[in-house]
Amino acid sequence: MTDEGNVMGVGVIGLSRTESEPLAVSASVPKELSRLASGLGLSAVFGLALGARAGGLGLLQHALGAPLGLLMVAGVAAPSLFVRLSLMDAPLRPTQMVSAVAHATFNTGLVLAGLSPAMAMLVVSIESAGAAAWISGLGLALAGGIGLSCLFAELQRSIAGASLLLKSRVFMTLAVFTVLACALAARAWRAWLPLLGGAA
Amino acid sequence: MSAHVLGLLDELLRSPKNVAERVQRPEDLRPLVVSSLLALLMGAGTFGAVLATARGGAQIGYSALKLPLAVLATLCLCVPAFTAIARALGRQLELSAMVGLALSAAARAALVLLAFAPAVWFALDRGLGYHGSVVLSALCYGVAGLSALRVMASGLGRDARGAAILVCCAAVLLPTGAQSAWMLRPFIGRPAQAKVPFLRHKESSFADAVYTSSRSSLGLYSRRPQGDAERAE
Repeated sequence: MTDEGNVMGVGVIGLSRTESEPLAVSASVPKELSRLASGLGLSAVFGLALGARAGGLGLLQHALGAPLGLLMVAGVAAPSLFVRLSLMDAPLRPTQMVSAVAHATFNTGLVLAGLSPAMAMLVVSIESAGAAAWISGLGLALAGGIGLSCLFAELQRSIAGASLLLKSRVFMTLAVFTVLACALAARAWRAWLPLLGGAA
Repeated sequence: MSAHVLGLLDELLRSPKNVAERVQRPEDLRPLVVSSLLALLMGAGTFGAVLATARGGAQIGYSALKLPLAVLATLCLCVPAFTAIARALGRQLELSAMVGLALSAAARAALVLLAFAPAVWFALDRGLGYHGSVVLSALCYGVAGLSALRVMASGLGRDARGAAILVCCAAVLLPTGAQSAWMLRPFIGRPAQAKVPFLRHKESSFADAVYTSSRSSLGLYSRRPQGDAERAE
């Protein structure tokens, strides 16, 4: 491994240069972190829409709860994915991972914010709590699915030049990550969004 | 009605691809939006009025007003989501372009409904019952929706990415449109009803109906205790 490869912040993890062919790092880490924060902020708008059903304190509870699910995935599941990919010598830099996670979180937040007007109408006008929870879960699943697909597209680009064996191992890891991310986000949203049966 | 507007209406029906290209050009957007709104009011309004002919009276005016209103309300609620989904999945469409695209698609659907209006009127006039009218109108909405899809597909791209965006947009549009229409019921009106209400009282919801049906299909029935049911009555 080269000296550059030994530095976690900037180096290629455990791969020779010819195998890695990493993508150009598009933006600095602070910029990517601000993108991630923007995504979390946008998802809070969706939370506000969900909170419109209960009103009052419910607005605040949901506005805080919606970003927490995303934060769980971005802060807990994504680092775990990076460690697994690094252990299998996937050509991925930490900055690329941060960029991919930030893009995915931003896109998820963007879709959630876009869904907010429709979701506010639906959760306010639907009578039964079960149906309102079901429909808001659909919104979260749709946005989460789009976010995951963005993450995978970014990661796929970075391993485009890798061997078939490595690609298949990365694919398996991503499949496990998908299940884990969905479970984590669902658990967090169920716990912190009163509409989904959380702290009501 | 100017020749330009009529030309745009013709284009809406004949060439969804040209319409999809127009929405990208800001100078073409305004006349397209005006034409689409006209088509929407005319097509959906006429179809709404025809649906209400079985009940007659004030219901005709109410339905002529409420059906375009339901479509417009749905678009207002869904277009931000459509734009966000398209951008998140890599199609850089401006909000104004998406407004134009969605409105054009809705206008095309409304014109298809207008085409169905005489046949539906004939069926209702020949004594088609309430439930038959509901099924017939649902079929008409389905065909009109498919014709609207062509405009959306042309605007979003006819590749895998465009198809994915279209599916996601449909996932947003269907529950939102169904609930908007549910809140603005009745459109047909029951013949036995003595008085015609503009809106029904808030009762259940479209999602509730789907939710209850899906639970029932799994054998999960929720019945209230007899005492509760009697008190509710």
